[in-house]
Order: sequence, then C-alpha cells, then structure tokens
Amino acid sequence: MSDNIIELRHISKNFGEIGALRDVSLTVKRGSVVVIIGPSGSGKSTLLRCINQLETPTAGEVWIDGEKLDGSDEQLNKIRADIGMVFQHFNLYPHLSVLENITLAQKIVRKRDKKEARAIAMDMLEKVGIAEKADSYPNQLSGGQQQRVAIARALAMQPKIMLFDEPTSALDPEMIKEVLDVMLLLAEEGSTMVIVTHEMGFARAAADEVIFMDFGEMIERTTPELLFSNPSHERTKLFLSQILQK
Amino acid sequence: MAAIQAEQQRSFIAGESLEDLNPAALSLKKFDWREFPWWFVALIIIAIGTLMVILTSPSFTKAFNTIIGGLRVTISATLTAFAIAVVLGLVTGLGRISNKVVSKNVATLYVELVRGVPMLVLIFFVALVMVPALVTGSNKLGLALFEAGVLAESNFLSNLSIRDIPMFSRAVIALSVTYGAFLAEVFRAGIQSISKGQMEAARSQGMSYGQAMRYIILPQAIRNVLPALGNDFISMLKDSSLVSILAVGDISQVARLYAAHSFRFGESYISLAILYLTMTLSLSLIIKIIERRMAKNER
Repeated sequence: MSDNIIELRHISKNFGEIGALRDVSLTVKRGSVVVIIGPSGSGKSTLLRCINQLETPTAGEVWIDGEKLDGSDEQLNKIRADIGMVFQHFNLYPHLSVLENITLAQKIVRKRDKKEARAIAMDMLEKVGIAEKADSYPNQLSGGQQQRVAIARALAMQPKIMLFDEPTSALDPEMIKEVLDVMLLLAEEGSTMVIVTHEMGFARAAADEVIFMDFGEMIERTTPELLFSNPSHERTKLFLSQILQK
Repeated sequence: MAAIQAEQQRSFIAGESLEDLNPAALSLKKFDWREFPWWFVALIIIAIGTLMVILTSPSFTKAFNTIIGGLRVTISATLTAFAIAVVLGLVTGLGRISNKVVSKNVATLYVELVRGVPMLVLIFFVALVMVPALVTGSNKLGLALFEAGVLAESNFLSNLSIRDIPMFSRAVIALSVTYGAFLAEVFRAGIQSISKGQMEAARSQGMSYGQAMRYIILPQAIRNVLPALGNDFISMLKDSSLVSILAVGDISQVARLYAAHSFRFGESYISLAILYLTMTLSLSLIIKIIERRMAKNER
C-alpha cells in the first residue's frame, strides 16, 4: 500500500479552448490535511473535482490508494464510495429527510441494512451536533445545519478521503464557524482531507500543507506557516495581501 | 364590514375558480370588480340553465342519455392510452437526455416525427397503416418460422389477422404514440429542472447513473411535472374525440351518429359539449387543489 492515498500525475483539463488546469501534479499522504487556495477561476475546484472524477481530466493520470483510475463505471462507483465530498451549495436531497439523506447511499451503495445504516447515520449526526434534526427536511434547516448534514452524509460512507469544495462560501458569516469546527474535529481525528477554501484562519490552524493555485497552475506548495509568513512567489504575495486586507 | 364580507365571498369564489387568478388581487382587502371572476358566475348560470333544459325537454333528455352511453369508451380509452403514454414518455424523455448516442437519437427521432404530424393524420396512420403493416410483418415472420421448422404451419403469428385488432386498441395505440412524444418533452424538462448538484452529489457517493436517476432525480422531477401531466391528461381526454373517426363508439362518435339519424343537432352537440366540459372542468379543479396542496407542503 502506497503512502500516497491520492496521486495526480500531470493533470490538464480544458473546457473548450480554456485551459482550466495545466499540468498539475499533486500527492496527498494518508491522514494529511491539504488546503488549496487561490483566486476564483484559478482551477482549485476543478482540481478537487478531478480527484473523484466529477471532472474527467483531459490529460494525466489519477491514482487513488494505489489504483489507477481507468474510466470504467464500475471502478469509478467503487472509488467514489470511498471519497466523501462536501459541496459549496450542500446539495442535500430535498425530497428526503435528514436521516434518509444520510442512509440512502449507505443502503444502496454500501448494501448496509436499514438498522445499521440508521445507527451509523445517528452517530454521524451526533458528531456534527444536530442529532435532533434527524427527522427534519433540508429546507427546514439553516445553511450551517445543512452543511453539517452534508458532512455527516459523506462521513457515513466511512470514506478514506474527504473533499471539501468551498464548504463555507455559501454560508452567512455567523454560520461559518459551526462548519469549520466540525472540519477541525475531523482534521484532529486524522482524516485525509483536501479542502478548497477562502478561510485563511482555518488553513493556518488545520492544514499540513497549503497549495496556492493561479491560472490553472500550482504556483506554490508549502506549510501554512511558511506560506503565510514568507510566500516565495510574487503572485502568492499579491493574492495574500488582497485577501488578508479584508 | 361590507368590504370584508365581499372579500370573504370573493376569495371563497376565487378558491373555487380555475384559472387566471392574480394572487396579488387575493391579498387586496378592497373589493375589486375588475379582478372578480365573472366568468365563473356566468359558467354556473349556464350550467344551471342547461341542466334545467335537459331535465325539462324530452328530446334533450333522450339525446343526453344516448350520448352518455359512449362515456365508458371515452374514459377507458383515455385512461389506458395515458398510462401507456406516461411509460413511453418517461422512457423517451430519459433517452433524450442520455449521453448514449443510439438512445438519444432514437428518442429524438420519435419525438420530432410525431410532433410534426397532426394528430388526426397520426390516428389514421397508426390505425390503418402501421397496425396492418405490423400484422403483415407478423404473418411473414410466422411463415418464415414455419419454413425454418420452429413453429407449426398454423401458429399464432401467421394466424393473426388485421381484423383481430379492434379499432379501440388501434385508437389507444394512436393516442399513446402521440402523447408519448409530448410527455417525453415534459419529463425531459422536469429532469433538466433539477439542479446539476443533485446528480453530482449522488454520483459522488458512488451511486450509478441509474441509481441516481431512480432515487434522487426522478422523485423530484416527477413531483415538479405533476401539474403538467394533469393538464396533458385533460388535453388527451379532449383529443380522444378525434378517435371517433375510427368508429370506436366514444361519446363524440355516439353524438355524431345520434345527430345524423335524429336530426337533433343542437341537442346532440350541446349534450356532447356538456359532457366534455363537466369532465375537463372538474379535472382541472382537482389539479388546482392538488397543486395548491403541494405548494403548501413545499419542502
């Protein structure tokens, strides 16, 4: 078993004429927390989505846990079950209750029986701190609560990797903390996490590594301490000065 | 006080009315005679008037009672054809959005062919060209299988006669084929109205495309298109009058026959119109109520 649970080799992604990613390579070690930052349109989300193949790279190889993705549906479904994803807009299933949101994929993908799926779902809701909302429907919850349910839904699959695509960008300011707290808890527990975010405070506190992207390229990759105190590239400096001013 | 009473009465009637109600007007506390559904009052007066005529005039009663005999054919043709059209439409709608080249093109061809032909022409075509051609094909297949030694000389394929397929079934097939194409577009629009994030969330959990469709997309899409399906059901009920040209004994056909031999044209066609109106208006009332209830429970 390789130590690198995620390995992206020379990934490029074009949307028509536009090159969203240009020859990006990335390895993520088991149990590490990697935060990707960068201006909008820099390809951070595209890179994240290449990991679980919500975007198919135009060129390059994706290796997950020592297995090369070959594009077959069967392999893809199996691997995706092991990769939890949290979206900017939560994407909870609005026609299902909170509990059903969390049990559905457990039952039909993991083939767990109803009782087991339910027990795991309740554990996860407990963990994100909203067990009392199990029977509510998504639109009865606040944004922060919905995002915590989305995290619980991903965790219930007991994934090897968690991907977060700007998980707090659609939230009102007072709800950001409750989501970040859950993510900090996961980081402390040793989950492998790849996070696209604009929350620099979180990056500083939780990340093992920070990656700065711009124009579809990986500009810099280092520890949060070094990146924030002494960025080595001009573009990184410019971006940080713009973001930290706020 | 008077204004409030008028508003209560108005909103009561408005609650019963079917169309063209401005929701903003409902919240007005003042009686607004421009927004009042006068057409509904007129409708009730017409209904009461005709009911009295039917009950008091023997020639009217006779016409009405004769024509109502075709109701079973109209209703069963509409119900059967609609059920088939829903299945056909769902499958075709899924085909239209599929990224498989064959399903996509077959589905699109079907929809475009059917939508470009008048329904009356399509009914003639299905009943008098397509079905006979299929029967001939089946006979040839039966013969070929006999010559190949698979079946006996007299088998169910070769014995099938065009006359074995009643006009009623042909009418139902014609209606289903036509409406299948319309409903395909309804389902396609319904599926495409669900945000892309739903499919992504489902696929990111390891569900297959089919599972995501079945458990996540379709339940939401079908809920969204229920009102449209209801309206298409009403359209089909009305369009079922076209199959009377196949002499299947629906209410339109019975009315035409009765009018032709009794020369009671007014009585026949007014009775016919009343029957259709009663069915369509009560159906659209039911749809309004369901829609309103759904809006209330909107999650």
